[in-house]
Amino acid sequence: MLGRGVKRKLSDYDESMAAGPPGPFDSSPALPYPQQRQLVLNMCLSKLQSCCLKVEPSLHRSVLLSNTLRQIQGEMLSEDCNTSPLAVQSDGNSCNVDINPYVGGNPPATPAHIPDLPPLPICSQAEEANLMTVLSDNGMPSTISSHLRVAGFVKDMSPPPAFPSWAENEELDFFSSSSSSEDEGNDRPAGSRSLDSLFGSFEIPNSTSYLTDLAFDDIFEDIDTSMYDSSDFTSVLSFTAPRSSVSPSEDSLKPFSTCSSLSTNGTQIGITDLNDLDHIMEILVKS
Amino acid sequence: FCLSADIISTVEFDHTGELLATGDKGGRVVIFQREQESKNQPHRRGEYNVYSTFQSHEPEFDYLKSLEIEEKINKIRWLPQQNAAYFLLSTNDKTVKLWKISERDKRPEGYNLKDDDGRIRDPSTITTLRVPVLQPMDLMVEATPRRVFANAHTYHINSISVNSDYETYMSADDLRINLWNLEITNRSFNIVDIKPANMEELTEVITAAEFHPSQCNTFVYSSSKGTIRLCDMRALALCDKHSKFFEEPEDPSNRSFFSEIISSISDVKFSHSGRYMMTRDYLTVKVWDLNMENRPIETYQVHDYLRSKLCSLYENDCIFDKFECVWNGSDSVIMTGSYNNFFRMFDRNTKRDVTLEASRENSKPRAILKPRKVCVGGKRRKDEISVDSLDFSKKILHTAWHPSENIIAVAATNNLYIFQDKVN
Repeated sequence: MLGRGVKRKLSDYDESMAAGPPGPFDSSPALPYPQQRQLVLNMCLSKLQSCCLKVEPSLHRSVLLSNTLRQIQGEMLSEDCNTSPLAVQSDGNSCNVDINPYVGGNPPATPAHIPDLPPLPICSQAEEANLMTVLSDNGMPSTISSHLRVAGFVKDMSPPPAFPSWAENEELDFFSSSSSSEDEGNDRPAGSRSLDSLFGSFEIPNSTSYLTDLAFDDIFEDIDTSMYDSSDFTSVLSFTAPRSSVSPSEDSLKPFSTCSSLSTNGTQIGITDLNDLDHIMEILVKS
Repeated sequence: FCLSADIISTVEFDHTGELLATGDKGGRVVIFQREQESKNQPHRRGEYNVYSTFQSHEPEFDYLKSLEIEEKINKIRWLPQQNAAYFLLSTNDKTVKLWKISERDKRPEGYNLKDDDGRIRDPSTITTLRVPVLQPMDLMVEATPRRVFANAHTYHINSISVNSDYETYMSADDLRINLWNLEITNRSFNIVDIKPANMEELTEVITAAEFHPSQCNTFVYSSSKGTIRLCDMRALALCDKHSKFFEEPEDPSNRSFFSEIISSISDVKFSHSGRYMMTRDYLTVKVWDLNMENRPIETYQVHDYLRSKLCSLYENDCIFDKFECVWNGSDSVIMTGSYNNFFRMFDRNTKRDVTLEASRENSKPRAILKPRKVCVGGKRRKDEISVDSLDFSKKILHTAWHPSENIIAVAATNNLYIFQDKVN
């Protein structure tokens, strides 16, 4: 009869790599943890985005994806909160977030709420829905270089982003709401939409003008919302003409609808929506 | 080249093992029947041949959400036989149907008012009374839908399970479990509801559910977080409080981004004895004693060599594959599928395991299956296959084991393989 598989050593594994396509960080186990995490985050988001099919997407899959997303976000938030350099730890336990296995009926411990996050604009429709964008703490010059690295790395690996060096250091968490998916789902090209570009990388807080060209409405219009009950969710998305994912300067991009002031400095954007953002952030981190 | 509609999506033996039902992505059910013993051809005993084929579910369209409802058959469960006809439940994402499969080998001939062709006879030619007489005919197997249990599930049905009382059954979707009476289609009782008041707080879904094989008040359901809850319907009408909660503490050294995803339980099955249950998550099969909630009594590694490839498997979505698992008739061996058309069997007593492959290239009819081995590193021996050569599109998700004999049915994409112990 057969014995069990031999435990694989790292060097043996590298030697035995055949022609088969290895995964992004399966093949380079030496990849720094933040980059691994960024990669997983990107894949997570693109999978959630591409859920818009003609058939109702699997709630099971969506929940697993959003849990993974939330876990990664929590790690990133807590790391930013600690204002410590991103330590590269390969075991995945570097963050302060206490992610417990789900026990009984108790939800896992949540990352600490970070009340002083600079807000991001959220379109008014999104207030009732559960889309949000969070800017992490900007006051960490020591992490800028790592963010740069991450951005550069991810640019290579992820699907071609529309905004190659997206301005904000952002994390996005979203749950789909249900009602408007039908119109989006039917005429949507798969996956290669603005959401890929939006989450193509973590960005430095204060640079470039890309953020001003973003249209939040467009970004989220791909999100499939049909997996949840349609009863009490409002549509968070407005419908715009489809746009290509190439340049940020296209005419169809809309300005932020609720921003009273736009500037090239991302940190000033959307301060008017601080309260809404906090509220939604609270929901996110406490759930 | 394989039509996606032909992909087999469920396999199930009936309680005698004489019939084997398969459901496919195109909504069809194909039932195989075992050849009867015959003195002329003794070696043909045990072959399964097609007995009946019918279209169980059709694609539908949900107008409210503008989404298609797949006709893919998610599960088939047989009812125990009570008369000459056979009954089974088949379900897609939204609707459960009770089908009656019956044989017809006689037909009435000699109608008074109709020709044998069915044409109405000219009344003026009818001068005598003619009473139809039953004449033998070629065997015909008919499937008729007897009940349609619809409109009770907002989310996708993943499991159905017939109760040991043979009067009720349950259907489980991602967030709710409903109890039905087999006779009543316009009413069902909700017995589990894990939908949060605020859907933003949703973090866990139901992945599988099954009634206890002998205690008609007991059932279990598994979750995407790797937990199993055993519920007693006598305690509460709405079984939101579990009687027992099974969860193995996580091994912190194995923690990764994908820990939760691979802990999601894809199948739960009670042993025939009712003393144990078995769960399948992405990398392992675990056997639990119903009296011990804090950890399984046995854990079997199905394909641990995939643990370091989780990111790739996440990327190509294979990490979401839902493998099933089955017990043999005596609960001594468990079986589950893997990739590359491999399937694995674990002998609980001897602790030996074997990897076999279901493919036409590697086995001729009546040939003996050769054990396979996956090489995980270092030099690859002849006959071994390296992890990177595995074909992840060839996955064995559905298998079934005859209730009393060593006959197994293995579904490999659109092909069904039936293996049995060599008869001497």
